[in-house]
Amino acid sequence: MDRRSVLKKTGLLAGAAIAGPSMLSLLHSCKNETRLTWQPEFFTVDEAKTVSTLMDTILPRTETPGALDVKVDMFIDKVISKTYDAMGQQYMRDEIAVFNADCTKDFGAIFIDLDEAKRIEILKEAEKTSGKFNPGIWGTTVGDQEPIGFYRSMKSMAIWAYFTSEEIGENVLNYDPVPGNYEGCIPLSDIGNRWSL
Amino acid sequence: MANYNIDAKKEVTYDAIVIGSGISGGWAAKELCEQGLKTLVLERGRIVEHVMDYPTMNLDPWDSELRGGLTPEQKKKHQVSIRSNWVSTDTAHFWADDEANPYTEVKPFLWLRGHQMGGRSLLWGKQTYRWSDLDFEANAKDGHGVDWPIRYKDIEPWYTHVEKFAGISGEPLGLPQLPDSHFLPPMELNCVEKHVKSRIEKEFDGRHLIIGRCAHLTVPHNGRGQCQNRNRCSRGCPYGAYFSSNSVTLPAAQATGNLTIRPFSIVQSIIYDEAKGKATGVRIIDAETNEDIEYSAKVIFCNASTLSTTQILLNSKSDRFENGLGNDSGELGHNLMDHTYRVGAMGKVEGFDDKYYKGRRPNGIYIPRYVNIDEKSKTDKFLRGFGFQGGGYRGGNPANIEDFGADYKDSILKPGPWEFFITGFAECLPYHDNQVNLNTDVLDKWGQPTLAIDAEFKANEKAANKQIQEDAVAMLQKSGLKDVIGFDNEHPPGYGVHEMGTARMGRNPKTSVLNGFNQVHAAKNVFVTDGACMTSSSCVNPSLTYMAITARAAYHAVSELKKMNL
Repeated sequence: MDRRSVLKKTGLLAGAAIAGPSMLSLLHSCKNETRLTWQPEFFTVDEAKTVSTLMDTILPRTETPGALDVKVDMFIDKVISKTYDAMGQQYMRDEIAVFNADCTKDFGAIFIDLDEAKRIEILKEAEKTSGKFNPGIWGTTVGDQEPIGFYRSMKSMAIWAYFTSEEIGENVLNYDPVPGNYEGCIPLSDIGNRWSL
Repeated sequence: MANYNIDAKKEVTYDAIVIGSGISGGWAAKELCEQGLKTLVLERGRIVEHVMDYPTMNLDPWDSELRGGLTPEQKKKHQVSIRSNWVSTDTAHFWADDEANPYTEVKPFLWLRGHQMGGRSLLWGKQTYRWSDLDFEANAKDGHGVDWPIRYKDIEPWYTHVEKFAGISGEPLGLPQLPDSHFLPPMELNCVEKHVKSRIEKEFDGRHLIIGRCAHLTVPHNGRGQCQNRNRCSRGCPYGAYFSSNSVTLPAAQATGNLTIRPFSIVQSIIYDEAKGKATGVRIIDAETNEDIEYSAKVIFCNASTLSTTQILLNSKSDRFENGLGNDSGELGHNLMDHTYRVGAMGKVEGFDDKYYKGRRPNGIYIPRYVNIDEKSKTDKFLRGFGFQGGGYRGGNPANIEDFGADYKDSILKPGPWEFFITGFAECLPYHDNQVNLNTDVLDKWGQPTLAIDAEFKANEKAANKQIQEDAVAMLQKSGLKDVIGFDNEHPPGYGVHEMGTARMGRNPKTSVLNGFNQVHAAKNVFVTDGACMTSSSCVNPSLTYMAITARAAYHAVSELKKMNL
């Protein structure tokens, strides 16, 4: 347990060191001053700001690093750039545009220009309307999958990117690349967080 | 390092040729080499040396740029195999190039291939179960297909033979329909699996839930290391803890000094000499240079994988065999089978939130067949039976939780709810019209005819699937699971990756391709011992049976050679 808390603390420090203290404040700054501190491969700067802000709202920094600390937004940009075909990429652009259009319709501004309360309101609504993933076994979804909305897909990508980042995977979650034996029934309190691999 | 036939000066005459280096080909090579035959293994793909050629075996997700994501180019190259959802950057190099190797789906059929030394033995699921006389007698009893020319007693010593060398872990149960193997210690059930086991065995007379029997070492065995519970098997195991040709049979064959492996060797056809009444060798195309080369040998083992073996036989035309080598019966290419797949149930398990597990056990649970095993368990809804695989784990999808923000983020760092699932594998009857044919309209990268696959599950399999789902839901509900959902993804054949048949064994040359020792009836020095030889499909995973059948046939081949019968 001592090892875990040490790792956790180390993780937090490392996460902070990677992202720097300025990123969150930049993203939380007011209209017209929101800047992007990285160069997207796929997104336009405005799209990237939307995605970064969305990631930060879903997985903010707490005692553990947040999505932006581990560059979830940059990774998602890379994944869309390198693994999506042209149609998938266009779909993503269109969805971001629709998301911002909805924000504008409801609150008079695009997502990044809304205050935190309004962003939360938007996402609470999106939670209700963007579908749920069917369970899967062995990598395959079971049953007929209803369409998944933009918000749920982005959230899912965010969690994937977050959990598979080195910082979270090695220092926040339980990292055990070579477990050796299998123990099928042990107290959760002996482990704490979920296994990373 | 193995002896490779890749030099300019090439040996072209061997005692034996083995076509393919996967699960059955590796066994053929080992047994033939150990009995003194100079053996050439022809592999259509590249060399994959154990450990040396497992580039991703130790990578964590963050070590690869896209963390498993495939580029559009990779998706195109693996356009067929990605339908299985098993291909990622960790394993893409072990899946065949689907663009270079097209086939035609007359009806939907997923053909998953591994074109490299070791074949799909690098990628397989490693579930290993003996078949029983319930399986070997099935055709004779209900009249579907032809009778197997062998019974359990014929193959039992060969199960023992291969198990002792391969290393199979599991728990003995004494069930006649699922005979026990020679087991290494079993893997462990987790607390939820133990809970469900006790409930199912209490509520349902005659049903058992056991840890999967599998080709993973649970103790060191024959110089190989035991499983470290990393569950990164399909990238190749640095410990050699699971059975693959690369880690087990090919090194044993190599140790005899009798093995030569020739990579990039696409077998175009088997050469038949009408005067001699037997095959004299094979004709290959070098996959890299397109050069045609002939190799000769006294015996030829076909282990290219079920459909590739049949493709080679169909393409081996001569005056004597106008419709393919050994096809006097007209059954070559017919009676294709697979197990039904991805039909079952899952649910949530309450009461274990304070429990977790350690290690990523590359194995699950198994529920042996319990239907149609005797008068008492007989159903009139369908013939034959099914078994279940499954498992319990802490899962859930954090993206589905209707929340976000600080508390949400901290909460998803904890393990999700316990879930448990079972998925059935039903036996497929041998139907003559489930078939493959040579397709000269679609040629592969080397100008060779390809396969058109025309197969489907029919009423009997659909009725079994219906029962699988109903039983699965009932078992999970009776076990006290919550939110139990049944599912049937209605996968077409191929998804089970247990393709069997198309060159079946039988007692009568008029209705089968192979005899009881896997010899082509009319060309007795040609042996087929991969999945193509199967006369029925059982509901039980077939790989262990391929191993045993291959070892048995190899001993027979050597014995017949010594008697000058081949």
